[in-house]
Amino acid sequence: MSTMQPILTLSGVHKAFGETQIIRGVDLELRAGERHALIGPNGAGKSTVFHLISGHYMPNSGRIHFDGHDIQGASPQHINRLGLARSFQITNIFPKLSVYENLRLAVMRRHGVQHTLWRFINSYPRVREETEHLLEQVRLAARRDAIAGELSYSEQRSMEIAMALASDPKVILLDEPMAGMSHEETDYAVELIKNVTQGRSLLIVEHDMDVVFSLCDRISVLVYGQVIATGTPDEIRNNQKVKEAYLGEEVAA
Amino acid sequence: MKSNTWIALALGVGLLVALPTLTTPSLLNASIQMLIAALFACAFNVLCGQGGMLSFGHAAYFGVGTFATVHAMNAFNGEGLLPTPLMPLAGAVVGLLVGIFAGWFATKRTGTYFAMITLALAELLHALAPHLKGVFGGEAGISTMRMPAWGFSFGSSTEVYYLTLAWVLLSLGLLYLYTLTPVGRLTLGLRENTHRLRFLGYDVHRLNVTVFAISAMFAGVAGGLQALNTESANYVLLEGHVSAAVVLNSYIGGVSVFLGPALGASLMTFFGYAVSDLTRSWLLYQGILFVLVMMFMPSGLTGFFGWIRASRKAHGFTAIAPLLVAGLLAGVLLSAGTVFTVEMLQRFFSQDYRSMAALQPGAGWAPIALFGRDWLPTAVVTWAVPLGLCGVGGALVFAARRMWQALVDRAEEMQVPSNAASTAQGGAL
Repeated sequence: MSTMQPILTLSGVHKAFGETQIIRGVDLELRAGERHALIGPNGAGKSTVFHLISGHYMPNSGRIHFDGHDIQGASPQHINRLGLARSFQITNIFPKLSVYENLRLAVMRRHGVQHTLWRFINSYPRVREETEHLLEQVRLAARRDAIAGELSYSEQRSMEIAMALASDPKVILLDEPMAGMSHEETDYAVELIKNVTQGRSLLIVEHDMDVVFSLCDRISVLVYGQVIATGTPDEIRNNQKVKEAYLGEEVAA
Repeated sequence: MKSNTWIALALGVGLLVALPTLTTPSLLNASIQMLIAALFACAFNVLCGQGGMLSFGHAAYFGVGTFATVHAMNAFNGEGLLPTPLMPLAGAVVGLLVGIFAGWFATKRTGTYFAMITLALAELLHALAPHLKGVFGGEAGISTMRMPAWGFSFGSSTEVYYLTLAWVLLSLGLLYLYTLTPVGRLTLGLRENTHRLRFLGYDVHRLNVTVFAISAMFAGVAGGLQALNTESANYVLLEGHVSAAVVLNSYIGGVSVFLGPALGASLMTFFGYAVSDLTRSWLLYQGILFVLVMMFMPSGLTGFFGWIRASRKAHGFTAIAPLLVAGLLAGVLLSAGTVFTVEMLQRFFSQDYRSMAALQPGAGWAPIALFGRDWLPTAVVTWAVPLGLCGVGGALVFAARRMWQALVDRAEEMQVPSNAASTAQGGAL
């Protein structure tokens, strides 16, 4: 399903915090329509790469090209409006609002009502329909009136995925969406992600290798701030450098 | 809204409309003040309770509303474009404009820094005002006259009351409807998590400025009503204590419920009216009240009512009734003891008493008149009374806490999920 056309390209991206070089020249290519995993040992800089792409951090040098735009150093809301949405590794929601309200806030943006003071939010049937559709999609319809901060951890993770989806993005970045989920929940989440990323491109950070290998078309391995290999799951499994740098460690551990 | 809410609302409005026939003229004047304070607190709460931005300088927007309205009253003489009943519009427009300007700067930062900027901007205006004599009238301030319009003379308190009531009800209605608009919903998002809003594609700064300006606009309406009521404006309106009062009032009422700040503001204004003639220590009592509310019911009076409702549901009315009676009695006794002590000490240390004692050396301590009796400062009974009151009050508090603990324990034994009480806190909005 994926074409060879890249939708998101990182070239020579560097990021340092003070003296510490975290990202040391990352080159990464996300093709339109593919599901791509970014894996690597703890501290390799996976979340930092996400923060750089989504506009949370500004790179020191290098280029990030998304769908015809250079987005290095652009603001998060600008990048989001171009069609790139993300979830967060640490749950990042509106904790005291209901689940429905959380998703509605996420849906509203695309309907351009963020400056509307003369109509009620309930007078937008499309917003309600889309919010309810998202609730169904992530199996939270029964919890719609629950306070988001009181959901179980995995329910909050599902809500995060739904919030990222709400803007109907071209590219979606998921930062460890399955962390803390049970087997059953993980299986469901994998199916969910497969479904909702139809026609979109996905870049996902995930530690569960079963998930990575079953979900993704291609994998990039990030070690100490550099991508050491990119390829299909089979290529990565058999890559000597990856075995040494990453998988080998896990096996030994 | 539930039908109960509608009935309560209709009763409340009915009572407010009937009020002039029920009260004395002086109480009616106090009611006008209460209405204005209620609107000011609700306007403040759009920013604070809903938007999560604690402003320490809201007197500025109230004040410019008052001055704008006074100038408009003098300029139009109640005729032409802006007849007397529409005068608060001048306050609204100027409040909005100043709010956009100040909000643009203040919302560049969040949290403590935001509060500091609002404080600094308000102090700046307060310091500048006496020097701009043409605008703020210097030390003397500016005065004006309510002119007749639309067949009303606006000479009596009753007419001013109805005009104020109409504006306050209209403004509160608009502020409530605001919470149902997309921007109103996003305001809650600002309070909860601005970071996430940004990653959902929202321009957070623009949103912040909008919320700030709307809050300032309605504060300006309240200020305009103040101008209509007092027919004058003085730069003391811009003082810090006005900003502080609206913060305290809102929190005493409860910032998480729409009408909570209105409740807090009208109660505190009424207490101010009722008590400030009786005692010089009114500000001390206000301070004590605020500290106690923040310590023991941080969600304010409305939160406290919510707690009572939730516990009644969880434990039954008969179970919590003795608890409430004990609590009420304890409150009365402790207040009486505290008031006695404060008033006694205040009189004992007053200048008058001191100079009297100095005039008659060797005569010993003269008795102090309080509550229709003379109390000797050296007599045991003088201090035994407040001690006794506080002692019994304290014992009742202790007993009430034991009773509450027993209720909770019993509920847990019966495996009744008593989380209704805890969720009631975050119930509204």
